This record gives sequence, structure tokens and C-alpha cells, in this order.
Amino acid sequence: MVRTEHSIVGQVYAAKTDSEAADALIGQYIGFIRSETVKFTHAALEDGHEDELSIAMLAFYEAILSYEKTKGAFLPYASRAIRNRLIDHYRAEKRHGNVVSLHAPAGGEADRSLLDTLPDTRDEIGTFEARTASQKEIREFGAQLANFGLSFSDVADNCPRQERTLAACRRVLDCARANPALLEKLVETGRLPMSELAAGSGTDKKTMERHRKYLVAILLAFTNGYEIIRGHLCQITRAKGGEGK
Amino acid sequence: MSYLVMETHPAYAVVMDEEGRFLKAANLRYQVGDTVQEIIELRMPRKKAIPLWKPLSGLAGLAACFYLVFFGYYRPNFTAYGTLRIQINPDVEMTVSRTDRVLDLEGLNEDGEDLIAGYSYRGKDRETTAEELVERAIDMGYLSDGDTISITVNSSDPEWRAREEVQVQAQLEERYGESIVIQLGGDLQQPSSAPAAGTEEVVIPVTPPTSAPTGEEAAPVSNPDRTTVNSDTDYGPSGDSVTNYEDTDYGPNADGVTNYEDTDYGPNADGVTNYEDTDYGPNADGVTNYEDTDYGPYNDGVTDYADRGDDSDDDWGNDDDDDGNWDDDDDSDDDDDGDD
Repeated sequence: MVRTEHSIVGQVYAAKTDSEAADALIGQYIGFIRSETVKFTHAALEDGHEDELSIAMLAFYEAILSYEKTKGAFLPYASRAIRNRLIDHYRAEKRHGNVVSLHAPAGGEADRSLLDTLPDTRDEIGTFEARTASQKEIREFGAQLANFGLSFSDVADNCPRQERTLAACRRVLDCARANPALLEKLVETGRLPMSELAAGSGTDKKTMERHRKYLVAILLAFTNGYEIIRGHLCQITRAKGGEGK
Repeated sequence: MSYLVMETHPAYAVVMDEEGRFLKAANLRYQVGDTVQEIIELRMPRKKAIPLWKPLSGLAGLAACFYLVFFGYYRPNFTAYGTLRIQINPDVEMTVSRTDRVLDLEGLNEDGEDLIAGYSYRGKDRETTAEELVERAIDMGYLSDGDTISITVNSSDPEWRAREEVQVQAQLEERYGESIVIQLGGDLQQPSSAPAAGTEEVVIPVTPPTSAPTGEEAAPVSNPDRTTVNSDTDYGPSGDSVTNYEDTDYGPNADGVTNYEDTDYGPNADGVTNYEDTDYGPNADGVTNYEDTDYGPYNDGVTDYADRGDDSDDDWGNDDDDDGNWDDDDDSDDDDDGDD
């Protein structure tokens, strides 16, 4: 028991920075996560509690990121984190408490639920195609990022969290879009033309340096091809509050 | 807000929002390329700010330790608190800390330096050092039976000094009291030259009477005042070997009459004490005249606080118009002194 605790500490610390190690650790402890979730839901997870399992896994990942070995064992900490996250989730869901479920019986005939009475407006084939197209594009994008030695996880970790920093990054993006030569330079050399961008956008070089990975990703998205991604991004820049896709 | 799912992991998905943010969120069975409306975002662990007092607490602890060591250990043990001077014939002074640790040993004369030559006082306390020095003095022939050790303690703390004196004396007496005289010379600056009235002397006369003359021969230097002849107790100025114990007439005219009865110390020693006469007035007529409070020159028994303008009216200076007003400047005429 003591030995496993020891090895898990090392694993957790590896998983803090390496997303593959994190995936492996979560795969190894999926049984633990399931059991913690079942303790909370008191029902089988396949019975409409899949979201809880997902949230529990997210909580486990959060626990990995915030664990400090000087403050105790990992598994009790993760257990507590999962419970807390699930409680938070239930409280958030309570706000929609006075909503009738689509699966509720629709009166009249016995076998029909409310869902069945609604007209099916969704274009299943259309969405599937759109998704396949965007999937393809995102794969391509991911591959190009990989050439720069980046993954989406890295970009997400490097993403600016403060509104002001995000605005600064967007100024850099606007500057790059204004002169496509800079974008081409980025693709060709594989390096961010820092001084030109800093001079053109008026953003502090230090800020750019700190969010270099994110800037590379967002500039790459505007180079060539990625129309779906660009379309997703431009929704808000062009038509504020425009209806989501 | 809609999010485009960019990458999926077992525990989370990387999504991009419309403002270009890349976020990690709970993977609710998403697939790459999905567009979702609601996400459950990952909470990044917050970096904890170090409280302000943390580095200061270390400093404070260090200061407290230093304080404790300095005042609890260093100062009582390693700083001079007083001196203890031992005079046999060798004259030795030791500097002592508050906790009786010997810090320094110094010979004040040649014999003293001889006595402490090669002697190590390091780490020893006052008791051991004093004892060993006396032992050494005996071994080296400075001290023999019937001799005197004079001990002088000096310190700015009189309480400590008194305690130390008592302790040293008791200690040495216990060891050598039978053969050696231990003498406290706390008040003296130069005890060997002028033993004054303040000297406490503890003499334990256990030495046999026959050895008294030899003792006198052995130690004439250390104690010259002890060579006085005991039988002559006439301290008078005349030194005529007559003690005059019977003559208690210390009066000027030493006529052998004590005159105890004559208590009349007055100027005219007429043997009358005049206790009853309390009239100290100028005309000692036996009447005290307490009622007469008129001390003025006009000794008429009337206390007139009044005009002394010689004209028996109560007005001042030149205002002599008898109207009782003080100097109303109407003294032009019609008065009888004729000064204007």
C-alpha cells in the first residue's frame, strides 16, 4: 500500500505537465473514479449518469494539477475533489429544476413521451457532414501545430486568461491579418516575427513572449485554408452576439 | 457562446471559443469537430500567495534565538561582572562572570604572577580557582599556618558582592580555616597599607599559643597592624599606659568631678536652671507679655498698623491732610507740617 502511494506520487507529478501521462494515469484509475462517482450518485453510471462520470474525471484531472505531495496522500485528495465537483455540478443543475423532462410521458397515449411529439427539425446528415469536414480541418490544423512542436493541450495551457491580455493578443492577430506577409513568414520560418508584430500592434514584447504558443496557434488558424475554424472565430468579431452555429 | 471541440482526452476536451480562447473542459462524450453550447470548464489551480509574515517570522525567530543565547548564556557566563582579589603575599585578581566563571586571572605583584604562572583557569569556576590558588600558594611556600588571606570582592552590584564575599569566605574557611586566617577586605582599596575600620576580620585562633611568635616572624609583611602589643590598651593621646577607665570626666576642666548634677548650661552658671522662667524678652522681668503683640517702636500695647507720619494721623507720606485718603494730591496747603 505504501509503495503504491509512492509510485502514484511520481505519476501524478509527471501527469501535471505531460498530457499523455495524465491520460494514462486516468485510464489506470478509471475504476477508482467510477467508484467515487457511484458513491455519490447511488446509481449505475450507464443509467443516465454519464455526465457525472465525465465531471468526476475532470475533477480527477484537476486534482492531478493541484496536488502537492507535502500536503498528504493523493487518492483521498482526489476523492474529496471529485465529491466537491459533483456537488457543485448538482447545485448548478438545480437552477433548471422546474423544467419538464423530454422523456416525461406526454399524456394521452401511454407509450409516447414528449420528445416524440416534437417535430424533428435537425438535419442529421447535414450535421454529420459538417462535423466530418470540421474534423478533417482540425486534424490538419493539429498536424501543423505538431510541426511547431505544439499540441492543443499546450495551447490551452498557454492561453491568456485575463481579458486585457486576450485583447492584446487579438491586437497582434489583427496586425498580422492586416499584413499577410507576416503570416507567410511564420509558416515559412516556423518562427514568430516578434519585433514586427510588437511594433505593428503596440503590444508589449514580454506579453507576447509569455503567450507565444497561443499566438502561434491563433495566427496559424488564419493562414490558409482553415475556413471552418476561422468562421467559428469570426462569428463574434463580425456579428456580436450572433447566433451560434 | 459556442465552442468548437479541438481535441479530446479521456478526462477533458480542448475547446476553442468564439473569441479565440483555447480552454480545457469536461469531456461530455464530445467528438473532435463538435460544436457545443455549454461546457464545464477546468478550474486551474491557483498559485498561493506567500503570506507577508512568513519570511519575517523566520527573522523574528532568529532574533529571539540570538536574544536568548546572548542574555541567557553569553552575558552571565562570558562578561565580567566583578573582580575577586586574593592577597596572600602574592596578590592575585580574578575577573569573574555573574555565574562565577573565571574570565581572567592577573597577578598584581611579582609573587602573584609567579603564583599564576602556568596555571590554567579556563572553564573553571571561582570556587575551584580560589581553592587551587590557595593550594598552590601553600605548595610554593607563600602560605603557611597562621597566615592571613585577604579577600576583596568588587562589583557594581552590591548584592552580588555581599553574596560572593560570604561564599568565598565560607568556602575557604571550611577548607583552611583551621590553620589560616581569612580576612575580608571588601571596603578597602589598599588593604595591606591601611587596614581601616570597615575591615571584617575573622580570626579562628586554633593555632597553638607557642606558635604565635613564629607566626609573627613568618608574616610581618602581610599584616603589620597585628604586631601591636596586646597588653597595652591605652589608646589615649598621652599613651602613658594608664587606661583611666575610672576617669569618666570628659569635661574641659578635667578635675575628676563629673558634675552630673549640674545641668545648668546657661551663660551664668549659677547652678539655677531657671526652667520656670520662660520670659526670653529683653527685659527679663519674669513676665512673658504674650498678650502684647505690639513689637513696634511705639511700645504702647496698641497695634496701630497706621501712619508713621509722626503726626498721629493715618495718612501716608506727603498727604498729610488728615482726611484718611492716600495721597490724593491735595497736599498743597492747610496742613501743619509746612512742607510745600
